[in-house]
Amino acid sequence: MKTLFKPDLTTADKPSRTRLRGLGQYGLLIAFIVVCVVLSLITPRFLTVSNLMIIVTQVSINALLAFGVTFVIITGGIDLSIGSTVAVTGVVAAMFAHPDTYPVIVPVLVGLAAGLLLGAFNGLVITKSKVPPFIVTLGTMTIGRGLALILSKGRPVSNLSDSFNFIGGGQVLGIPTPIIILIVFFIICSVLLRKTVLGRYMYAVGGNEQAAKASGIQLNKVKMVVYTLCGGLAALAGILLTSRITTGQPNAGVGFELDAIAAAIIGGTSTSGGTGTMTGTLIGALLIGVISNGLDLMNVTSYYQQVVMGIIIIGAVVLDSLNQHKNG
Amino acid sequence: MHQDSILTVRGLTKTFSGVKALDGVQLDLRKGEVHALMGENGAGKSTFMKILVGLHQPDAGEIFFEGQALKSQAVSEVLKKGISMIHQELLVVPELTVAQNIFLGRESRGGLFGWIDEKKLNQEAGALLTQMGVTISPTTKMKYLSVAEMQMVEIAKAISNNAKVIIMDEPTSALSDREVATLFGIIRDLKTKGVAIVYISHKMDEIFTISDTITVLRDGKYIATQPASELDNTALIRMMVGRELDSLFPESVAQKGAEILSVRNLRRNGNFADINFEVHAGEVLGLAGLMGAGRTEIARAIFGLDPLDEGEIYLKGQPVRIKSPQDAIQHGIGYVSEDRKGLGFIPGMSVKHNITLGSLSNHARGPFIQDQSEAATAARMITDLRIKTAGPDQKVQFLSGGNQQKVVIGKVLLSSPELVILDEPTRGIDIGAKSEIYKLIKQLVADGIAVIMISSELPEILGLSDRILVLSQGRQTALLSKEEATQETIMHYAVHH
Amino acid sequence: MKRIIFYSFSLLIASFLTSCNQSSSGENGEKKLTVGVSMLSMQNEFIVNVHDEIEKKAKESDVELITVDAERSALKQIEQVESFIAQGVDAIIMNPCEVEASSPAVTKALAANIPIINVNSETTAKPSAFIGSDDVESARIAMKFIAEKLNGKGNVLMMHGYMGQAAQIKREQGAREVLKQYPGLKLIAHQTAEWDRAKAMALMENWIQSYGNTINAVFAQNDEMGMGAVKALTDAGLKDKVVVVSIDAIPDALQAVQKGTLNATVFQNAEQQGAQAIETAIKIAKGQSYEKETLIPFQLVTKENLAKFMK
Repeated sequence: MKTLFKPDLTTADKPSRTRLRGLGQYGLLIAFIVVCVVLSLITPRFLTVSNLMIIVTQVSINALLAFGVTFVIITGGIDLSIGSTVAVTGVVAAMFAHPDTYPVIVPVLVGLAAGLLLGAFNGLVITKSKVPPFIVTLGTMTIGRGLALILSKGRPVSNLSDSFNFIGGGQVLGIPTPIIILIVFFIICSVLLRKTVLGRYMYAVGGNEQAAKASGIQLNKVKMVVYTLCGGLAALAGILLTSRITTGQPNAGVGFELDAIAAAIIGGTSTSGGTGTMTGTLIGALLIGVISNGLDLMNVTSYYQQVVMGIIIIGAVVLDSLNQHKNG
Repeated sequence: MHQDSILTVRGLTKTFSGVKALDGVQLDLRKGEVHALMGENGAGKSTFMKILVGLHQPDAGEIFFEGQALKSQAVSEVLKKGISMIHQELLVVPELTVAQNIFLGRESRGGLFGWIDEKKLNQEAGALLTQMGVTISPTTKMKYLSVAEMQMVEIAKAISNNAKVIIMDEPTSALSDREVATLFGIIRDLKTKGVAIVYISHKMDEIFTISDTITVLRDGKYIATQPASELDNTALIRMMVGRELDSLFPESVAQKGAEILSVRNLRRNGNFADINFEVHAGEVLGLAGLMGAGRTEIARAIFGLDPLDEGEIYLKGQPVRIKSPQDAIQHGIGYVSEDRKGLGFIPGMSVKHNITLGSLSNHARGPFIQDQSEAATAARMITDLRIKTAGPDQKVQFLSGGNQQKVVIGKVLLSSPELVILDEPTRGIDIGAKSEIYKLIKQLVADGIAVIMISSELPEILGLSDRILVLSQGRQTALLSKEEATQETIMHYAVHH
Repeated sequence: MKRIIFYSFSLLIASFLTSCNQSSSGENGEKKLTVGVSMLSMQNEFIVNVHDEIEKKAKESDVELITVDAERSALKQIEQVESFIAQGVDAIIMNPCEVEASSPAVTKALAANIPIINVNSETTAKPSAFIGSDDVESARIAMKFIAEKLNGKGNVLMMHGYMGQAAQIKREQGAREVLKQYPGLKLIAHQTAEWDRAKAMALMENWIQSYGNTINAVFAQNDEMGMGAVKALTDAGLKDKVVVVSIDAIPDALQAVQKGTLNATVFQNAEQQGAQAIETAIKIAKGQSYEKETLIPFQLVTKENLAKFMK
C-alpha cells in the first residue's frame, strides 16, 4: 500500500500534456468551461444534475459516432457513411427486436454485425481499389440509405420489446444507460488509441503513410480494422438511437456524419491525419451538445444554433492551425 | 560600426516554444562583400535569415539597415527597403512567365483601369536578364525553366527590386558545375555594384572560392567572424563543430563473416537488370553510380517496396520471397531511405514513438504497449546515437536533418537487422553529424551486421566501403575491391556503357 | 456542363422509356397512359402511403407509372418534372417539396401542355388540379382539441417541421389562429425538430428542463415529432400531466392513442389523396371533366373513435 503514494519517477516526465496534447486542447477545454459557466449564469436550469444527465444522454450517440470517425480521420481517411449505417443497423436491429421473438442479445448482435459489415465493405473497397475514402464512403452512404429503406419498406419499424428499449432508455443506479455505454466505450476507444500497438499504427499511417509502410506496418490491415471499427461504433449508435426512440427509422441519422466529424475536428483531430485524441473528441461532442441544449433552454431558434455551431467549427480549426503555426 | 556597413545586427535572440534558436547573434555586413554564414544544421542560420526578411519577429536584439534601426516589420516592407532572399526551395509561380515572376507584386501599371502593361514588363525583364548575361526569354513560362534558370530569374527579381542585400540560401544545391560558374560570375558582378551578399552553403570549396568574410554560428550562438583568407578547411570545421574532427573515416576493425545476402539476376523492367552480388557480415558494400543508375531502385526492390520482374534473393543461403517491407524486416533487412521525409519518419510523432515504430511488438504484451519498456529503449537509442532532442517526446519534425536521420537509423536498428541498406545516409547533413554517422556504420559492421551503402559522394564510398559495386544505367559495370577503387576508376565505370 | 450532361442523360432515358412504352401499349389498341409522379420524400411514411394508393389505383386502371423521389429537394423535383416533359408523359402528379421553389415545375409542365396535379401540398403557381387537405385546418383541429382539454387555459409548446415548408407554415398558421381565440392559452416556446422523432425527443427533454411542471400541452406538427415528445415526457414521468397532439395518424401514432400516451392525432387521408390524384390525372389525360380542387377533410382521432382508423 505504501507504493501507492510514492512518486513514480519513471513517468514523472510525461505530464498530462500527452493526454491533452498542445495548447489547442487546453484552449478547447477552457472554451468548454467558459460556455458552461456562461450558460449556467444565463439560465439557472442549465447547471442541474438532471439537465447535465440529459445533455450527456443526448450527446452519447454523436460521441460514439465521433469516436469511430476519429480513428478514421487519424489514419488520414474519412467516413461519410456512418449516418446511413445508423439507419441500417437501427432498422435491422428493430426487425429482430419485436416482443416475444428473440432474446435482446439477438437484435444487438445482428445490428452490430450489419455495422461491422458495412465498415468492412468500406475498408475493403478503399484498400483494394485505392479510390479515395471520401468517394467510397459517399457511395456507401447512399447504398446504406437505400438498404435501410428497402429493409423497412420506407416505414418505421416499431413495436419493440421492453428489454430492447431498455438499452437506450433505461437507467442503472439512476444513471441513464446511454451514459454508461458512452463511458465504457470512451475508455475502450481511448485505451485502444493510446495504449495499443494498433493505435500507434493508426497515428503512423495518418502521419506518413509511406514511412509507416517502410517501417513494416501493414497499411491495408490497419485501414481495414479502422473502417470496420468505425462501422461497429456507428452500429452501436444506431442501436442506441433505435432503442431510445423505440423505433427503427429508415430516415434516421441523416447528417449525423457531419456532426460526428465536427466533434472530432473541434476536438483537435486534424483532417490531414496523424493527430487526435478521444478526450478531445469527447469534449468536442459535449461542446456541441451543451450549446444546443443551452440554446434550447434559452428558447433560441435553431437558425441561430446553426450559425453558432458553424462559428465554433471554424474557430476550432483556426485555433488549431494558429497553434501549429506557432510551434512550427 | 564600420562606415561601409549596410546591415548590422546586435544581440539577436529568438525562442521557439522554450528552445533558444538564436542567442545573442551578431553580424556586420559591408557593401560589396560576399559574407558566408556557416554553421551546422540547427545552428540557427535559417532562423536568423527569416528574421532578417521579416518572416519571424525577434524576441530581442537590434537590426540596423543603412544606419537606421529596423523595427519588427512585414516582408513587403523589408523588400522595399532592399533586402531580398533567394530561398533554397525557389518560390516561383510556375504558370506565370519569367517577366511576370520578376515583377510579381510590383507590376508597372498603365492604362485607364490600371491594366498591367505586359509589353513594358517583358522589355524591362529582357534588359535585366541580358545585363546579367543570361539568355532566358522573358515570355517563357517559369515551369519550362531548369532549376538554375529559375534561380537566375530569382536573382533578376532581387536586382529589379534594387536590392542592396541579397541572401542566398544554398543556391548551388541543385546546380551543375557550369551553372555554378555562371552564378559566381553574377555574384562577382553584383559585388562591383556594391550589393552585399549573405551566402549560406555547406560546400566548403565554394565558400573559400566566393566569400570574403565568414561568420560562424553554433547552437544558436555567435562564434566568430573572420576574413576567408585567414581560414582553412580544418579551422572552419573546428569553429563550426566546436571540436577537432580527428579523422572523418574511422579505421575498420570488423571481421568479414558469413554471407548474409546474395542476389542473382535481379531485374526490374525499366530500372535495372542482371544484378548479381553478395554481402557478408561485417562488410560494407558500397553502391556507386550516377543519378538514375538504378541504385535506389535495387535497394527498394530488395526491401519489398517495389516488385521484381526476375531474379532470386538468398538470405544466408536460403531463397526468400520478399513482397513487402514487412517481409523484409522479418527476414532481418533494414532500410534507411534516401527520401528521409517521405519514407523515413512520421514528422508529427515524437522521437520516442518514431524510434520504436518498427519494433513495437517487442514492447507490447498482447495488444498493449508497455510504456516503460518502450521509453527505456528509446532513451537508450537517443543516448547511443547521440540524438540531439529536447526530449523523447519532441516531435521529429522539429529536429535537424542529421538528428532526423539518426532517429530513422535508430528505428531500423531496433528491428535487429542482419543487413542494413543505407541509401544516401548523409545527404543534407552537416559535417559533424556526418562523422558520427560514419562511426556508426563502422560500429554496425564491427557488430557483425552486413551493410549496403548507396552514396553519391565518392569520398564517402571510398572511405567506408570494403567492396564497391559500380552501376551504370541499370547494369553493374564493376565490382571493385577497396584496393582497386579510386575516384577515377569508379567514375570510369559509372559512365561506362 | 452538369446540366448538359443531365439533359442528354434524361433524353436518353426518355427515348428508352418511350420505346418501352410503345411495346407495352395496350392489347386493345388503345394507347396506354403514362403518368410521371414526383414525390417529396419516399422516406416519409405518409408520403409512401399516398404513393402506394396512387400505384394501386394506377394498376387497376392499367396506367404506366414513373415514380421518382425528389428527396426533399425542390431543384431535383424541377429536374424530374423536366425529364417527364422530355419523356412526353400524359400527366404529371407532383407532391411539391416547397411552395415557391417547386413552382417552376408547374409552369414548365403547363407550358409543355402536360397536365400537372399537385397532391398533398401547394405551389404558388396554379396547377391543373390540386388534391389535398388544407393543412391550416388540420392544425386548427389539433389546437382546438388542446384548448378544449385545457379549458382554454394553460401553457403550450409547439414543435415545428422543417421551417419554411408549406406544411410547417400552414400548420403554424392554423395553430396560431386558434391560440388567438383563446387568450388563456400561452405559447411558452416553439422550436423546430425537423419532422424527426429523435430530434423531437431531445428538444422535449430540453424543454422539460426549462419548463418542467409548467407545461400543459404540446402540439407537434407531425406524428413523428409527437412520438418523440411522448417518449421524453413518459421518461420524465410527466406524460399524465401533459396533453400531446400531433398530425398525420401514422400507425405508431394510432397505437399510441390506443395506449393513451398520445392524446390525439389528426387523420389526413393518404389513401383518398392518392386515389383522387391518379383519378384526376386520368380524367384530364382522357379529356374528361374534373374538379380543379379536391379537398379531403381531416378527422380528429381520439381513443373514442380510434377503431375506425385502425387497420
